[in-house]
Amino acid sequence: MKYIDLLNFLNPQHFPIFAIMLYFLGAFFIVLFGKNRIARNCIAFLATGLSLTLLILLVKPIFLDGGIIAYWMGGRIPAGGYAIGIALEVDALGLFFGLLVATAVFVSCLYSFSYMSEDDNEPQYYTLFLMLAGGVLGMVFSGDLFNMFIMVEILTFAAVALTAFRNRVTGALEAAFKYLVVGCIGSTCILAGTILLYQQAHTLNLAQLATIIPNCHGTNVTVAFVLLFIGFCTKAFIVPFHPLAADAHGAAPAPVSVLISGVLTKSGIYGIIRLTFFLFQMMNLGAVQFWLVFLGSVSMFVCVTMALAQHDFKRLLAFHSISQIGYVLTAVGLATALGASAGLYHAMNHTLFKGLLFLCAGAVLHETGTTDLGKLGGLSKKMPWTTVLFLIGAASISGIPPFNGFASKWLIYQATYEKAVETGNIGFAFVTIVALVTSTLTLASFVKVTQSVFFGQLPKECENAKEVSWGMRLAMSILAILCTLTGLFPNAVQKFLTQPAARTMYNVSQYIDGMFQKGYAVQEMGMSAPEAAAVRFETVGVWNPGNWLILLLIALLSICIVAVASKYDAVRQNKSEKVEAKYSLFYGGEPTEFSQVGGGDLFWGFKHNWRHYFSFMHDLHSGIVNDYSLWAVVALALAMVYALIVL
Amino acid sequence: MELILSALKSLAYVLIFPGFLFCFLSGMLLCGIDRKLVARMQKRVGPPILQPFYDFFKLCGKETIVPAAANKVMFLMAPLLGLASLVVLQLFIPVFQYQIPAFAQVADVIVILYLLLIPAVSIILGGASTGSPYAGVGLSREMVTVLACELPLVLVLLSVGKVVGAESDGGICFSMTGIVNYQLAHGSLITHAGLIPAAIAFLLVIPGETGNHPFDAAEAETEICEGMLAEYSGAPLGVFKLNHAIKMLTMTSLFVMLFFGGIGSGLESLVALVGLTGTAARVVGMLLAVLVLFLLCVIVTAVGISFVHAVTARLKIEQIFKYYWTVVSGLALLSLVLVWYGL
Repeated sequence: MKYIDLLNFLNPQHFPIFAIMLYFLGAFFIVLFGKNRIARNCIAFLATGLSLTLLILLVKPIFLDGGIIAYWMGGRIPAGGYAIGIALEVDALGLFFGLLVATAVFVSCLYSFSYMSEDDNEPQYYTLFLMLAGGVLGMVFSGDLFNMFIMVEILTFAAVALTAFRNRVTGALEAAFKYLVVGCIGSTCILAGTILLYQQAHTLNLAQLATIIPNCHGTNVTVAFVLLFIGFCTKAFIVPFHPLAADAHGAAPAPVSVLISGVLTKSGIYGIIRLTFFLFQMMNLGAVQFWLVFLGSVSMFVCVTMALAQHDFKRLLAFHSISQIGYVLTAVGLATALGASAGLYHAMNHTLFKGLLFLCAGAVLHETGTTDLGKLGGLSKKMPWTTVLFLIGAASISGIPPFNGFASKWLIYQATYEKAVETGNIGFAFVTIVALVTSTLTLASFVKVTQSVFFGQLPKECENAKEVSWGMRLAMSILAILCTLTGLFPNAVQKFLTQPAARTMYNVSQYIDGMFQKGYAVQEMGMSAPEAAAVRFETVGVWNPGNWLILLLIALLSICIVAVASKYDAVRQNKSEKVEAKYSLFYGGEPTEFSQVGGGDLFWGFKHNWRHYFSFMHDLHSGIVNDYSLWAVVALALAMVYALIVL
Repeated sequence: MELILSALKSLAYVLIFPGFLFCFLSGMLLCGIDRKLVARMQKRVGPPILQPFYDFFKLCGKETIVPAAANKVMFLMAPLLGLASLVVLQLFIPVFQYQIPAFAQVADVIVILYLLLIPAVSIILGGASTGSPYAGVGLSREMVTVLACELPLVLVLLSVGKVVGAESDGGICFSMTGIVNYQLAHGSLITHAGLIPAAIAFLLVIPGETGNHPFDAAEAETEICEGMLAEYSGAPLGVFKLNHAIKMLTMTSLFVMLFFGGIGSGLESLVALVGLTGTAARVVGMLLAVLVLFLLCVIVTAVGISFVHAVTARLKIEQIFKYYWTVVSGLALLSLVLVWYGL
């Protein structure tokens, strides 16, 4: 009997709840035993590592076999047509986001061990850290709307507290306060939307709502949709909620930035997908598609230009983070299977490369004590590892082949342009153009960081910088390797990860049946089940990074052999000697002095032409929380008006 | 055995044709012709056509000085990376109907657009690694030039993709092979009225992408001492000069293949007329195609690079940006709108 129980315990059915529980139990045990450093690190490592392992074990039943895990807490299965128990439902989409969450959490936990070791209040840090992780995972796996709200609240408050964790840093409390206020507006919207839906459908179960809501028409439902949508937008920091992210990232410790950008924004995107594809099933409406694509395009363009104007490493990364989320939203909003797959692919890549870049920024902060681009420079000689890892991250986000950012952006271009040609709507062609130009602007922005942080001249203040500890390098290397692998094998990633997840987005009845029994969706909705086979993922272009890389390596190797054979390498002057005139930099005959071309001085030609736009944006981003709350309310009002007119 | 054979084959492609050796010879020759043409237009005698070769080998014989402040690995690797990526890029540009089938499935035009960024990024990284303030100014301008050229290039490529796709199967076509095959069957795209503005826009983008006069603010010799190249000497400098020459070849041959790909359709019948068949016909046809391509590249260089060089003075960086994002992008956008509505 015992033996059978144990087997039951190892049933994949239980893995989702275990994964969530591990985070929360970890948080609880750290409060109890966290005084001891070793115990604390062990608990955090075990909680994050085991959760990740459990989710990886779920890959086979869910991604490969196409199954769905529905889990009713306390065995309260639905009776009499009403599902009132607490349910978890994990389909391929949920597990996809769950895997992103667990990976980012695990890596950033590894990084925290050495990064946070000099802070006081470390036990509180790990408690909040695991609460945040558990909140996001719980939200992604939750099978009912109210528990989604609960988890959103947990993650928001954990994130606010973590933002202000280093409260001696200037601006940390301010950033947390802004985040708290606008985040609460978002949470309130979600709660209000939930209430309206409950009033309409008398149930909170997502699957059951999905059978009822699409058949309800009326102002109530539309208002609920807008409220929920805006609520999730604040979690994803879509424009106009982007200034919060910049402040929060600027103040938060680097591993927390990884979670906020890699995990928290993903929860918002996940919410939007569940809302539009599953609950309301309104992605076939042109107005909703336009809405998502428009918001996405605006986010990607506005935030990339905002990033170009930044002179702080982490704030710059924060704006890029939202710019990339804009890509995801745009791709998902196309409502094509290719678009969905591309969007999810980019969401995954965003977690990986953004995590890597934030960890690099953290490493720079750790060694030099500043992230101001004007005060840094020449770190490549002091921190060679970090430089190489940063370059991989920068190449990934700017879409330089063969790294992962290119693979997914390329799919997004294909998807948007295919949509444009299919619908004959030239507007989607402009989306492609915006996406392509944004990508180049991203490159420009990272050239700026490379020049003003890692290359250029070394200021006196940074002379004591050295390479970071191996623990931090390990965490960064894991992400860098993942960035490269997912870029080199796009077909495998699509086949095993993004396409199964995208397929579930077009197969709502499977999600509903998964929660109840087979045939429930057809019976309740009175219509035939959507055809799963209609999903198409073909692209018109071709991109084979593996072959390209082989060709490049052949070329590079042969060129290097020729170069080395012909004495290309040069003997460099011994460092200890006084620099001979021949080896010193050329200053046009002026006396040698420190003359670093800093980040703020770059791209004048571009900024000059766009000066009116930049000064407009500068005035707009006042940094006052009242203004940002006003934006939130205005955004809600505009969305409401738009929805009531067109839906 | 087959594996070794195919490996040798790709090695030959990469090293000889259409890879390194071909790029080296024809790029340098193109550069020499350009210099001669500019000189003749300005009533100078000009250097011999082989001057770029002499320059390159002279530079290779000189001492390489790595500044004490520079990151040595990046300083020395950057030119080589740029060279390798340009050589590989050239593999994906077909020579009329003579294209290597294995490479047609590797990259499409959108990928080519991105691969064009790698040489620019490599020169930027090389310049940045020295820490020189001249390089700092130069890389800032180089990046803005790249940004400026990106928008018109994107618009041109999307227009071409739309035309070719709409005529062949009602969709879009981004594959280079598809674009060239379409032209071989239906005549060059330059004859398509809606694409004429796009062709002009592309022609104007060429000097910007290659960093030729008047769009060479990034390497302004008289002003910022060649910017990113200020600290370079010896062989690495020679490789950067070579990269510049190859980029001229890449851009002009891309232009030829996008808009004049139909010219190749007569070649096969010409070869058949002489009475050649089988392998001989293929080899002769291929040589002929390469010759025709090179001649067309020379013409494009003469019109798009040399002539513009001879009659203009260097623009300031903000003027370059404004010019590309208004005039050139306007032309390309006009094209996109025209082809979108079926012209």
